[in-house]
Amino acid sequence: MSAEASNPAATPTPCEDSQGDGRWMSQHVRFVSECKEREPDVVFVGDSLVQLMHQFGIWRQLFSPLHCLNFGIGGDATQHVLWRLTNGELDNISPKVVVLWVGTNNHGHTAEQIAGGIMEIVQLIHNKLPNAHTLVLGVLPRGRMPNPLRERNAEVNKLVQDALSSLSHASFFNVDPGFVLSDGSISHQDMYDYLHLTAHGYQAVCEPLHAQIKSLLEKPAEN
Amino acid sequence: MMSGDDLNPAAVPQPVEDRQGDGRWMSQIWKEMFSPLHALNFGLAGDTTCNVLWRLQNGELQNIRPKVVVLWVGTNNHDHTAEQVAGGIVAIAQLLTNRLPKAKIVVLGLLPRGEQPNPLREKNAAVNRLLRSWLPRLGQALFLDVSNEFIHSDGTISSQDMFDYLHLTPAGYNTLAKPLSDLLLHILEETPEERRGSLV
Repeated sequence: MSAEASNPAATPTPCEDSQGDGRWMSQHVRFVSECKEREPDVVFVGDSLVQLMHQFGIWRQLFSPLHCLNFGIGGDATQHVLWRLTNGELDNISPKVVVLWVGTNNHGHTAEQIAGGIMEIVQLIHNKLPNAHTLVLGVLPRGRMPNPLRERNAEVNKLVQDALSSLSHASFFNVDPGFVLSDGSISHQDMYDYLHLTAHGYQAVCEPLHAQIKSLLEKPAEN
Repeated sequence: MMSGDDLNPAAVPQPVEDRQGDGRWMSQIWKEMFSPLHALNFGLAGDTTCNVLWRLQNGELQNIRPKVVVLWVGTNNHDHTAEQVAGGIVAIAQLLTNRLPKAKIVVLGLLPRGEQPNPLREKNAAVNRLLRSWLPRLGQALFLDVSNEFIHSDGTISSQDMFDYLHLTPAGYNTLAKPLSDLLLHILEETPEERRGSLV
């Protein structure tokens, strides 16, 4: 993997307030205070695919009962998540599982850089929370028809899966139930804009994910 | 006074550049709330007035004759002034009235955004003030603004209403949907039985 200094995807970077209403920082500050108030067993971190999960009924149905916190922010790339986790979003909590889902927004980065960014996050989580297991979700395909981002995301998954195979404190989990159909298309019934999941899409992702998290929670704590 | 003499960049039709490379800029289908009214949802995250104008000029009004068009756009026009944004919205309303002379155009006010007071709140409020004054000139246009419902006495917006201080939660949508639904039902009830219930 690329060394941190030369990989922008693996360099903690806050999001610039280019629009002018400070929303990214407001959300980060809110997450940091949630860490002081709550005792989650599971923390989800990542981009809009994590954040929007919280807005669907399936969150309350499957994940609230497991005492989960949701630290997703739309638009985040690996370097943004890295910054947030370095600056308070893992403090004062001791979850058993961290679910990490990020990488699709790393525009301009190579698959190697993105995978490097993801592994940097995995390492950071292990340093801060030595007893937690990190579940890294595969980056989903996107776009209605085949396109370069699908290839990039598939390559990221391959690299990350390889890198994780030698670790005991983290594992790769593929949540793609087969969104790409036989003609190469993705249906708007699964992703309404060919990137973000519908309720139907989340159902297909969250059921196996929930089962996996439950089985991790039921294992004795790792040392 | 309406913009229109000088070129207003917010009223220049422009499709979205496929910068990310997966061609995903496409129409979305409406899921739940207004389906019983036979509604279509042509909303696209990130769109500016220019993008909406382009879409309407390039197919999204073909072959349909809705009774009502609900228009909600302007918060993403980051490169434009409040006057330009309001001018862009009026340009869209004008286009809709030209193409659909019998339709009512319901223009929704731009919501406040950001957890604390900030320049974008002021800008969106200024757009709303201009719309209030300019839209009555288009006989078919109505303006509905629920902005005040979202700002608490300490000036903050709650994440219970906007999970990222921009996008609405289900609770936030409920605040908007009630008055909007009432207005739409009122408009639709005014129309003849045989053409009832067509909404974009």
